[in-house]
Amino acid sequence: MSSKTPKGPDNVTRNLVIGMVALVVAVGAIFSVISNRENTSAVLPSSVSQDDGYGIVFNGDLTGVPVIDIWEDFQCPVCARFEQTNGDYIEKLIEEKKAKVVYHTLSFLGPESVLAANAAACSSDENKFLGFHKAFYQNLPAENSGAVTSDFLVSLGQGLGITSDKFKSCVANLDYQGWVNNVAASGGEQNVNSTPTVFINGKEIRRATSSADLGEYFDPAAFIRAVEGK
Amino acid sequence: MKKALPWIGLLARLGLGGVLLYAGYLKAFTPDKSMMAVRAYEILPIWLANIVGIVLPWLEMGAGLLLILGIAVRYVSIFGSGLMIAFIIAIAQAWARGLSIDCGCFGDGGAVDPNETKYLETILRDIGFAFLGFWLIRYPVTKFALEKNNSLQQKPTPGE
Repeated sequence: MSSKTPKGPDNVTRNLVIGMVALVVAVGAIFSVISNRENTSAVLPSSVSQDDGYGIVFNGDLTGVPVIDIWEDFQCPVCARFEQTNGDYIEKLIEEKKAKVVYHTLSFLGPESVLAANAAACSSDENKFLGFHKAFYQNLPAENSGAVTSDFLVSLGQGLGITSDKFKSCVANLDYQGWVNNVAASGGEQNVNSTPTVFINGKEIRRATSSADLGEYFDPAAFIRAVEGK
Repeated sequence: MKKALPWIGLLARLGLGGVLLYAGYLKAFTPDKSMMAVRAYEILPIWLANIVGIVLPWLEMGAGLLLILGIAVRYVSIFGSGLMIAFIIAIAQAWARGLSIDCGCFGDGGAVDPNETKYLETILRDIGFAFLGFWLIRYPVTKFALEKNNSLQQKPTPGE
């Protein structure tokens, strides 16, 4: 302000409000930056590899096979469509040890995505991740409708034969919340800007360009060709 | 006309301030999405885009609040108009380069289907908001502003 500005109560109010707003902005932004950083001390599910962007890894020991990285959000309907289109084929690849597959469960769609991703990690400790993954998408509730609760997730697990108390408490206590956050941070570093995003050997597969062309995401034959490198 | 100016200014303040506060609020608590939206413009390096995605919503909220309260109107309006011009440039370059993204102005954001882009509408809307800011830079004295500092009326002072 110019030096001619008269000093008075009005100026005090002005500076006080500016100071308060600046403080709130600074605290909010700094807190948000810190809470979105990778937390290297977070508890990780047993099948997770930090080197693979904190993804849940299948066949991590295989070499010379295609590496499929799937970035998804459990609440994303298009991810459910990808699962419906290619899920069985991917599971077969895993069972037959024909590919290394890494699932990255993002959570940008909201708190219920965090609950679901955490529960999926809990299920992976019980070796039921793939079943849980499929069952969740088959029962996908409307986005952030409040339908995804601990009870909902535990009963999904029970449907797959997961009955341990450890699973229940893992789901209810959000044991892997820190890990969910790390997956999100890793997605940011990898420039994943939509879901699903699928990489084969580090290269993103081709997206649909029109309604007539399903791309490699939603044309099962095209996806198989992409995996097989044809 | 002279009597109407502060009333027009009030509307401009509430319009620009309201949209900044609302847009900031929608994004500040979904930082993953907001970072994604900024990255999708493919202008900034990823690390910087992620920081902007987190910090910008809070700055928008702060600026919006000050405009609604009517404090430091001219300075905040310079910030607000500058922001709108930056948005217009960012959206125009995305359009020109053939990216298919949502502007992420009110949450959402990131890549979308090519037939779901709304570049022209977004640019026209932001031009409108930029002009509200220009108005307030020119006529910062408005009705019901918390700051009733008369020195504002003498601005711009020589040498500014």
